[in-house]
Amino acid sequence: MKKALAIVLALCLLLTVSSAFALELLPAGDTYPIDTDATISWYVQGSLSPHDVYADWTQSPFHTGLIEKTGVNIDWSFPTTGADGNTYTNTLLAEPATMPNIMGVSKMADAAMYLNEGIIWDLTDYIEEYAPAYYAFLHTNPAYDKALKTDDGKYYAFGFFREDGGWNDSYRGPVVRTDWLEEQGLEIPTTISEFENVIRVFNEAYGAQFSFAWSRFKEGSLEGAFGAYATSDATWFIKDGEVGLGNTTEEWRAYVAWLRSLREDGLFDEDNFSLTDTTIKAKVHDDKVGISMTSMGQLNNWNKEEVAAGREGTWIGIPYPTDDDGNISSIFGGSGIGGYTYMISKSADEETMKLCLQVLDYAYTQEGFLYWNFGVQGVSWDYDENGEPAFLPLVTDDTDTDPMTKYNGATWGSACIQATKLLYLKNSPVAVAANDTWFYSVPAEVSSGWKWPNGTTFTVEENDELSLLNASNIGTYASESFAKFVNGDLDINDDTVWAEYLANYDTYNLPRILEIRQACYDRYLSR
Amino acid sequence: MVASREKKELTLGHKLSRDYKLNKWKYVLILPVLVYLALFAYKPMYGLVIVFKNYKTTRGIAGSDYVGFMWFRAFFNDPYFFRLLRNTFTLSALSIIFGFPAPILLALMINEVQNTKFKRMVQTITYMPYFISLVVTCSIITIYCQQDGLFSNIAVLFGGERQNFLINVNAFRPIYVISGIWQNIGWNSIIYLAALSGIDMEQYEAARIDGANRFQQILHVTIPGILPTIMVLFVLRMGSILNVGYEKVLLLYTTSTYEVADVFSTYTYRMGLVNQQYSLSTSVGLFNTLVNVMFLVLTNYLSKKTTESGLF
Repeated sequence: MKKALAIVLALCLLLTVSSAFALELLPAGDTYPIDTDATISWYVQGSLSPHDVYADWTQSPFHTGLIEKTGVNIDWSFPTTGADGNTYTNTLLAEPATMPNIMGVSKMADAAMYLNEGIIWDLTDYIEEYAPAYYAFLHTNPAYDKALKTDDGKYYAFGFFREDGGWNDSYRGPVVRTDWLEEQGLEIPTTISEFENVIRVFNEAYGAQFSFAWSRFKEGSLEGAFGAYATSDATWFIKDGEVGLGNTTEEWRAYVAWLRSLREDGLFDEDNFSLTDTTIKAKVHDDKVGISMTSMGQLNNWNKEEVAAGREGTWIGIPYPTDDDGNISSIFGGSGIGGYTYMISKSADEETMKLCLQVLDYAYTQEGFLYWNFGVQGVSWDYDENGEPAFLPLVTDDTDTDPMTKYNGATWGSACIQATKLLYLKNSPVAVAANDTWFYSVPAEVSSGWKWPNGTTFTVEENDELSLLNASNIGTYASESFAKFVNGDLDINDDTVWAEYLANYDTYNLPRILEIRQACYDRYLSR
Repeated sequence: MVASREKKELTLGHKLSRDYKLNKWKYVLILPVLVYLALFAYKPMYGLVIVFKNYKTTRGIAGSDYVGFMWFRAFFNDPYFFRLLRNTFTLSALSIIFGFPAPILLALMINEVQNTKFKRMVQTITYMPYFISLVVTCSIITIYCQQDGLFSNIAVLFGGERQNFLINVNAFRPIYVISGIWQNIGWNSIIYLAALSGIDMEQYEAARIDGANRFQQILHVTIPGILPTIMVLFVLRMGSILNVGYEKVLLLYTTSTYEVADVFSTYTYRMGLVNQQYSLSTSVGLFNTLVNVMFLVLTNYLSKKTTESGLF
């Protein structure tokens, strides 16, 4: 079983690597550097901030390098250190006249409203001429073009795409300590019963509990083994063309009842709701947890820190468990199209907007793709003996955290295409294998087919109505109900309590919100 | 009648002019405060008008459409309205009931200490938590409240069970109030210590001659001596009864404790800064302020009635 799995994964790995650079991108030609004295302002909500070692972007090789490559002066800005990015962005959006020219934000659903209000440029008449590489790239895949337009066919933003088409959207999943598995004579669990057994055995043998950083669990965890589509956050899912709320199904009830039973048996850590990537590490390294959920980046860190402490890095990724018949409905994943886009604000006049288009277009050219992913050739990277990019000692000998982010802009996602090779170079083989396990162990409909797609846009009227209905209350109600069920403040197994829980969603206007979302999704399908 | 009013105005102008000549530097000193209030307290009031509008940032305040009381209706009909009101009042009331007398008691106790060195040490130790950043304070609380944290260890010592106190609905309010007292008790006692130092020592001497013991001296000399200060601070505190700071709640609450921890200020933060519902969040803010003003006026009235001291 393990051998077969290993062979499948190795084949998948080979396929992924060999498919790298199969991208058909336009060459930059002699467009860059552009001969201009103009300056554009560029705001980035997240993912593209200068590396921590730099005081500001003027010291950052990537940010200053992009100015050299494109020939255009860029005045970069980022949320204040420590500020919540989304909140900071909203304060900028409150003053449209003074917004930076390029806005890197996560606001695709509001695009129609921003276009209608005249906050951002409608790029439809300009994109083909001033961003030919991006335009050509969008047309290499109908899904890309569909996601990056409004319902009425207007282009409004530059998006983030994964070269692997969704592999790294499943960057999070279950992990286990192999030394404990071996000590207890256990196999890697593949079903939810086996998964639970590992939790129980680890608890009996080591006093460990099922524990994780809350952010790594709440948006998607083990619910797929129960046929469900949500953990604690309100999660919209699509099944047979119908939009639903994952937190209102019987399958979700079964999943939460299972979590409750773990809690009752003292197997499910009470600290979970307040644990972060930092605080969970104390439990991981103090032998208080042996099976968990985390990201490939954190998996890297856990093993690295174990090794630094003189122990063996023992954590590996394991498949999302199925039900006992081998069925699974959903995992944490996506389609390879990010929800984070770069729009051009109306603070830019027409000429500046055209310049912004050209600067953004660079990332989608052959040369720009390499710069955004690896930096400057001969400085931070070069081709290896197989003709593939490899980082040079400037990066590989650098002991700072994620040193490649000093030279590239695609590590965490931005207005670019993230190379799969970059992820292979950045992460340890164990972490890459974990991502392979999470992604390749399930079919596409399980990893992304059920998901509310990135790129849907609400109409102005829908946006106004959702505001008036206080649609965000659904999220608050769903997540706090989850906590009450798991903690036992509400009895998930009591039919009356469950019926009341469902009925309360009407108070929060769920039926109308579902209608609005269904209409939005149908429009998206018919684009 | 007109002549009389002109006379009155002239008199007022004359008075002002005379007062200015006498206290020129005091007027200069107060100027920055007036500018501050004008810019940050009065000018933004114009923005309140968006509670009656469907505010769109591109159209500005003047250009957005009037929608009457739509946002107030939306807020009052919100299923969370009564919960927010209950939580805000409860957290604030508990903070007042337990947090307001605490620095007074501390000041009285410090005042009774004769050893100067010990007195200074106690003062320094009690002031210190005030200077710790709220984020750090809440991180400490979070760690202490974990399943294997300090509080669980203490609970186990006394035969209790390990638990995470921050997900316990019944524990959130005590944690919030007690940690607030711990952090602010020293700092808030300063003003009472200052008031205590202003009490005439002859009154104590007279009380002692009359045979009063230490406790009777506190009861009949010390407390009446600082009562005006207590009442002014109490009226001010009541004027912000619905102002529960969102930072500490945001840092300490989890989805498990929304039921008792979600307050108007966290709701306003979520609606305004996170969800960009500016009109709705402003209407919540305005409601909050109106209730505060009501309490301020009421408490001031009661204070004047009972102790003859008040703010206005």
